[in-house]
Amino acid sequence: MPNYVKIEVLRMLRNRRYIIFVVGFPVVFYLIFSGIWGAQTDSGGVRAAVVLMVSMAAYGAIAACLMSTAVPWAQERQSGWLRQLRVTPLPGWAIIVTKLIASLLLVLPSMVLVCLAAVLTQGVRLPVGEWLVLIPALWIGAVPFAALGLLLGSLLPADAAQSAAMISTFGLAILGGLWFPVEIMPEAMKSVVHAMPSFSYADIGQHLVAGDAAPPSAVVTVVAWAAVLGTAAVFAYRRALARA
Amino acid sequence: MDAIALTDVSKSYGNVLAVDGLNLAVEAGRTVALLGPNGAGKSTSINMMLGLIRPSGGRVEILGGSPDAAVARGEIGAMLQSGELIGELTVRELVDFVRRLYPEPLGLDEILRVADLTELARRRADKLSGGQAQRVRFALAIAGAPKLLVLDEPTAAMDVESRLRFWKSMRDYAAEGRTVLFATHYLEEADENSDRVIVITRGRVVADGTAAQIKSGISDQVVRFTLGGQPVAGLDGLPGVSAAEISQDVVTLRTTDPDATVAALYRGTSLEIRDLRIIGADLEDAFLALTRES
Repeated sequence: MPNYVKIEVLRMLRNRRYIIFVVGFPVVFYLIFSGIWGAQTDSGGVRAAVVLMVSMAAYGAIAACLMSTAVPWAQERQSGWLRQLRVTPLPGWAIIVTKLIASLLLVLPSMVLVCLAAVLTQGVRLPVGEWLVLIPALWIGAVPFAALGLLLGSLLPADAAQSAAMISTFGLAILGGLWFPVEIMPEAMKSVVHAMPSFSYADIGQHLVAGDAAPPSAVVTVVAWAAVLGTAAVFAYRRALARA
Repeated sequence: MDAIALTDVSKSYGNVLAVDGLNLAVEAGRTVALLGPNGAGKSTSINMMLGLIRPSGGRVEILGGSPDAAVARGEIGAMLQSGELIGELTVRELVDFVRRLYPEPLGLDEILRVADLTELARRRADKLSGGQAQRVRFALAIAGAPKLLVLDEPTAAMDVESRLRFWKSMRDYAAEGRTVLFATHYLEEADENSDRVIVITRGRVVADGTAAQIKSGISDQVVRFTLGGQPVAGLDGLPGVSAAEISQDVVTLRTTDPDATVAALYRGTSLEIRDLRIIGADLEDAFLALTRES
């Protein structure tokens, strides 16, 4: 299976769409936004350069999970590659586990690049202990989005998966307050925002960089979404295998 | 122990019976062609042998157990009818990935050599021609050194030259005492590359033997003539005639003894015969006769 993870990661790193939309965009957005607003500080005294770093890392992670999982997986089901794997000794569960691991590994490039850009261009400095909590939290917190990617890829044909991944990424980014601060949204939308896994996911990161502990409600929200989407993804995956 | 044993296997999709009480057994070490026209049930049968679809009835046994068990042990390699590769990976990466899934695979260089891919090893899969991609899919099928190799219309999308090279690769692989089953609707392919031909049509076995036996079993010749509007009753009762067909004004008689048939046609009837021709049987005819009989 390590070998399978390796080729899954390798193929995405050679995929132009992944490099541009998933790895490139978050860093470029970070550079633009932090160039304009980076010096401002919020009510808690945290610089916007730091807040934006968390937001863009979160956005990059969501994009990576959806783009690098849903679309290739839907294509593999349609193109017959899945059938080819089904006549090898590779067990069915190994395919979905590999996809999950590969998807989480593919989150790292954009996350690391956004953080590097923050450190290098905005002089962001966090205590070592905070980095060591922040990066793993953002990384593991991406599980619900990886599950969503697998779910879309199992349910939809390749073309539809492409659009669905796009819409989900932007929807989660906007409704999670990753692109615009939640404060400027209308009151009615705020309750929607607070139910979004992307909001809680980024919120955990924002608390960590402010030197606080992760709010339990946000952790519960992310875990609940991970459980729901994970279960749905497993069911959809089994159905997709049976139809391969 | 047979490599493949199908007992009364059927598969229906809604009201359509794709495979209808199929019985066949393939001994280990043989190269067998599954020959039949499009829609005969070849792919459905193959997919059942591979465990990709479940039969509606009957029993499928592969290498002494269920297809799933044989696949899990790495004893089956298959080239399915369609299947794209992962475009971003090179030929070498793809082949190496698949071979490592098997417990006792062939060596990477050996696979590339047998499948005639050594020169293409570093090329990305999305830069391959149709015939080259087929060779890669063949390489994936043999990568695990499977005891049973199953190929579903492997030469579709290949030009003549590629076909010749492909069959040579297949024979090299089979020569090591392995069992190969391939589906085709090309008679020449079945004739030249197998030691046994199983003909299936509408989901049933209609003939089974060596290519030579199948040809000799259908040694019919064809007597064809124009009859105009004259009555056709009784033509199928002429000596030697096994089948009669009338299409517009042209009568086609399939006969085991053209001399007797023609003699009776002239002496025994008062019909006015025009454009009489006697056509010898070739494999194509044999095949058509078999498919028509069922």
